[in-house]
Amino acid sequence: MANRSQIPTCNSALIAMIADEDTVTGFLLAGVGNVDLRRKTNYLIVDSKTTVKAIEDAFKEFTTKEDIAIVLISQYVANMIRFLVDSYNKPVPAILEIPSKDHPYDPAQDSVLSRVKHLFSTESVASGRR
Amino acid sequence: MEEEEQQNRPESCENGREDGEAEEQRQQEESVLQFLDSMDGYLTLLDSLSSTLRQGWIDLASARHSMGVSRVTSVLFDLKLHSASTTLHVAEQADSMGEQPHFVLYKWSSSDSGKCGSGEIEIDKRELQQSSSPQLRHRGASPHSELQKEYPAGSTTSPKAYQVQNERFKLLSVFGTLVSPKLHTAQLSFETALGTLVKIANMRSSMLSAFAQVQKQSQATTKMA
Repeated sequence: MANRSQIPTCNSALIAMIADEDTVTGFLLAGVGNVDLRRKTNYLIVDSKTTVKAIEDAFKEFTTKEDIAIVLISQYVANMIRFLVDSYNKPVPAILEIPSKDHPYDPAQDSVLSRVKHLFSTESVASGRR
Repeated sequence: MEEEEQQNRPESCENGREDGEAEEQRQQEESVLQFLDSMDGYLTLLDSLSSTLRQGWIDLASARHSMGVSRVTSVLFDLKLHSASTTLHVAEQADSMGEQPHFVLYKWSSSDSGKCGSGEIEIDKRELQQSSSPQLRHRGASPHSELQKEYPAGSTTSPKAYQVQNERFKLLSVFGTLVSPKLHTAQLSFETALGTLVKIANMRSSMLSAFAQVQKQSQATTKMA
């Protein structure tokens, strides 16, 4: 018997953001901002005073909400909670690491690329040759 | 004759096995190609995103410079109840690689779905009345006929385009009525970035799906060996 699909479909899903002020401002101008009945927003602005715990809580909250389909997280912020980001493996919401103003995107640190890079490691090549 | 037949049987079995292995190898190579293609697409899109975001940040900085730091700040964000104007549709897509999510972006969707009542951002109505662009004046849940009255059939601006412009203006007006043109340019840059991000999300799904396929085939080959 086929397994049940684990991909939740949604007609009007949100984009959540965990990023610096300028990035969040820009995307809010593009219309992704949402405030619910409990006055909870779909974004967290990270600055010098934001604690790692606050970032972790926001990440956990956004990845467990059913109405969020994509979570944008600045890569330098993702590095602060790297263990949590790397251990996340659900298809939805999709976690996208984006560059920030002061920290350009580094493919070597991307969680998704780290997951697949071992395909090119010497070990995997060597095992294929045996 | 019988001896010839007996000799031919193991040969045909061997040929069948070889054909099966060749087919398997072909499928494996196809999966690897699919995976590499997805990864290339993913990295190319991220590069494009970086350029678009950079332009957006520059425009935002220019707007902040001309309008003043206190006018373009997160303190002004609207924290009253409102829905997102730009949303996503998530569907399940089944292909040769398996099931994967597919994301579709709906820009300014609140103007289509008619949920303007709860989706509007609170704005200073007095500022709107004093606005120099009367065609963007807020008229509440404006019916279609009202829009057609303002924009007759021969007009180049369709009601839908007007609604999209209205939504854009509402978001810009969070920072005041008279905003720098750079803020509008920044808005457009981030809108473009959103489109790229959705493509990245789809490419990511495709890449992970292809990777899972390659792994599965690789493990199957290892077991047979």
